[in-house]
Amino acid sequence: MTHLDPRGVAPGPIPARAGIGLRSVHHEALLADRPAVAFIEAHTENYFHEGGAAARALERARANYPLSLHGVGLGLGSAEGIDREHLARVRRAVVRFEPALVSEHACWGHAGGEWFNDLLPLPYTEEAAQHLARQVAEAQDFIGRQLLIENVSAYVAFEHSRLTEWEFLGEVVARSGCALLLDVNNVYVNAHNLGVDPAAYFAGLPAGSVREIHLAGHARNGALLIDDHGSRVCDEVWQLYRRALARFGPQPTLIEWDSNIPSLATLVGESQRADVILGERHGLAA
Amino acid sequence: MASLRELQQSFAAALRDPAVACAVFPPANLDVYRNNGRVAFRESLERKFPVLRRRVGEDYFRQLCLFYRERFPSRSGDLHFFGRDFPAFLDEQHAGGDYAWLGDLARLEWLRVECAVAIELPALDVDALASHSGESLEHLVFGLQPSLRLHASPFPVFSVWLNNQVDNAPPTDQSRADEYGMVHSRHDTVYVRPLAPPVFSFLSALAGGRTLGDAMTRAALDEAALTRSLRFLFSEGLVSSLAL
Repeated sequence: MTHLDPRGVAPGPIPARAGIGLRSVHHEALLADRPAVAFIEAHTENYFHEGGAAARALERARANYPLSLHGVGLGLGSAEGIDREHLARVRRAVVRFEPALVSEHACWGHAGGEWFNDLLPLPYTEEAAQHLARQVAEAQDFIGRQLLIENVSAYVAFEHSRLTEWEFLGEVVARSGCALLLDVNNVYVNAHNLGVDPAAYFAGLPAGSVREIHLAGHARNGALLIDDHGSRVCDEVWQLYRRALARFGPQPTLIEWDSNIPSLATLVGESQRADVILGERHGLAA
Repeated sequence: MASLRELQQSFAAALRDPAVACAVFPPANLDVYRNNGRVAFRESLERKFPVLRRRVGEDYFRQLCLFYRERFPSRSGDLHFFGRDFPAFLDEQHAGGDYAWLGDLARLEWLRVECAVAIELPALDVDALASHSGESLEHLVFGLQPSLRLHASPFPVFSVWLNNQVDNAPPTDQSRADEYGMVHSRHDTVYVRPLAPPVFSFLSALAGGRTLGDAMTRAALDEAALTRSLRFLFSEGLVSSLAL
């Protein structure tokens, strides 16, 4: 593993290179080994609390790496509105940790007062696009930052959908002023599960809207692909990643690995693979 | 055409009950979301209530997780809060029975969850008392660590918790009397400690904002016991401020 210069790096904008998702099992190793990754991304909700080992570890890691905060709990497409308390916690985390990027998902998460704590798919309708855009704009105003909105993996589609997923996301970008976090594995999973066409998907998204890319592994369950973030990125997703870079240009790229979490060295190895491909796009020797 | 709110309500209803129709295709794939939910909520409770899980066994714990979520659905997008009502739920399930102590064991484990994310203030050394004269000592009000949680139980839940840090521990004798103790964190480690009743009373009084003299009287501590209790408080890093 290549290591960071011991003097550390100044926190700042995230370059178009590869980073890793920070998980608590790697806190100690990341602080001790300081691998040369371009940035770290943390789930915002895991750092809502003022005290505790996790928050302290992120503060220390933050001194060495640019940070992206990635929310999984706002469910901004929920018809019943935004949980203001949750949004306030996001803002406090953003003020405290000063991330270079702040992201959330194009999904919903609660109905009838019950939270499902999952990234539930939206119907691709004008009403849903307008609603999501309105709440993304509200969240951006409240937090004081542009949000990157991520496309989610889905296992069902609504019969009521009238837009394609990329038309839907384009509408949200145009109306809210947000940017996109393109999860290439999710596009691949949706292509397999729901027949989405990745080429049309990439061609249909607004060209300048993608500011970050996610890569992850998935699992097979019968005929379905499950976005479990539990294995290496597969060859087909690496191929799709090359096509995404060709369309959207080099972007900060994150390796997500949230279940069956490997050693930090393995995770960093995956990020180096993304760096090699990014280097090809930059025209650099890999 | 159904509104977004109606579509989400029918989706939510179909997640809760597979017999409910929902305008998605293929509907059978809703099982993926149902399973995701079951696993995520169960794993969240497993992390928070490890000793309870050990005591009741894997199968019963899984059943409890399912029933708990039906009775107390998640009310936040932050899973940290899921499980806050688990003690009350267990009380409902086992009131008056042989397992009435499970709720209080869960209560103790939830205190650990709270402690783990509490702020840790710089701890004072016992020498901090030296700057106060003998007369002013009794009027001192102690600022204690925000992570400190005090717990009095009619059951021996501290013994249960401490005895079950390993798999297959023998059952704890439930006929033993009530127990008192505290949970606190220091240097990112959460500690569970049983306390003698007078020390518990003393700490409770201090935590409630009583003066040192008042706390000593309430706990009926003699001078020797007071000295021991103060040494304990400072050595555990529990005191963060002193004020008159």
